[in-house]
Amino acid sequence: MHIMEGGLSWQWCLVWWVIALPCLVYGIHQLKKTLAADREALPLLGVTGGFIFILSSLKLPSVTGSCSHPTGTGLSAISFGPWITSLVCTVVLLFQSLFLAHGGLSVLGANIVSMGLVGPLAGYTIYRLLRETSIGIYPTVFFVTALTDIFTYVTTSLELALAYPSETGGVAGSFILYLAVFAVTQIPLAIVEGIVFALVFKYIITLKPDILIRLNIFSEEKINAIRSEF
Amino acid sequence: MQFRYSLETLTVVAIVGFCIVFLYTSSTMSGAEFAGSDTVGSQLTLKLSGTPEEHFRPLIPQWEPPSSEIEASLFALQAAVGGILVGGVFGYWIGLKKKG
Repeated sequence: MHIMEGGLSWQWCLVWWVIALPCLVYGIHQLKKTLAADREALPLLGVTGGFIFILSSLKLPSVTGSCSHPTGTGLSAISFGPWITSLVCTVVLLFQSLFLAHGGLSVLGANIVSMGLVGPLAGYTIYRLLRETSIGIYPTVFFVTALTDIFTYVTTSLELALAYPSETGGVAGSFILYLAVFAVTQIPLAIVEGIVFALVFKYIITLKPDILIRLNIFSEEKINAIRSEF
Repeated sequence: MQFRYSLETLTVVAIVGFCIVFLYTSSTMSGAEFAGSDTVGSQLTLKLSGTPEEHFRPLIPQWEPPSSEIEASLFALQAAVGGILVGGVFGYWIGLKKKG
């Protein structure tokens, strides 16, 4: 989903930076607040950040004949919301910009908006909706993590379509072309990512259920219902 | 009673299924290069912009890994950092649980 350095005009880079920066500042505020309230949230943040590091480094082949990488941001979106997730993503994207020439500093704002903000925000919204229903924890984690991944690539497609509208179809035509490249490749990867994260969540519930209850990620009833199955 | 390892089984089946589908498609698709979707997206950008590739220059100068081997090792380093974080915290939690 990385837009290459030089892939956007300076005007578009500025637009995405203007959107990303206030969200990052709010993310710092949220992080301070969360850690001040419960220091035990820090290891969970380490796990969610660790998965973003691992999964965004794995370029996997997909059925479309090209490779892509999962984003790994869904678990962080569920646990800490989109604002803190955008901060963790910024660290990963900065590493990749500086040392791997993946993305770049000028387009970092655009990449933060897609991977760190819109994808996790969409996932977080779905999580909030599903949390209040009778749908179980594992299906919720599956849907949220898979859709967070896909929405990231949809956003990248939109960012590029806005910058490069096609001559015949305009922004919409270009958006469909980019979607065919990014989002379609991503669907099988997102499904596997969703299943893997459901399993990861099972181990978090097994080892540290109290932090999930204290951070109000899922209700005590739902977590205890799962624990009784172990 | 529910099977205790149903989620583990599902995960293994999904990963193995994904590998089988990949092996099948990679052997039957003609012209599949398995290039990164970022690269394919960049090619589409070049096409849509109508600008020759040499006109695309970084707005901010950027260091690039001198070879694909070095790039691969840096990607591995990134994954290792994540692995250390995840493994370290899960180990910490297991230790806490054992201590009671």
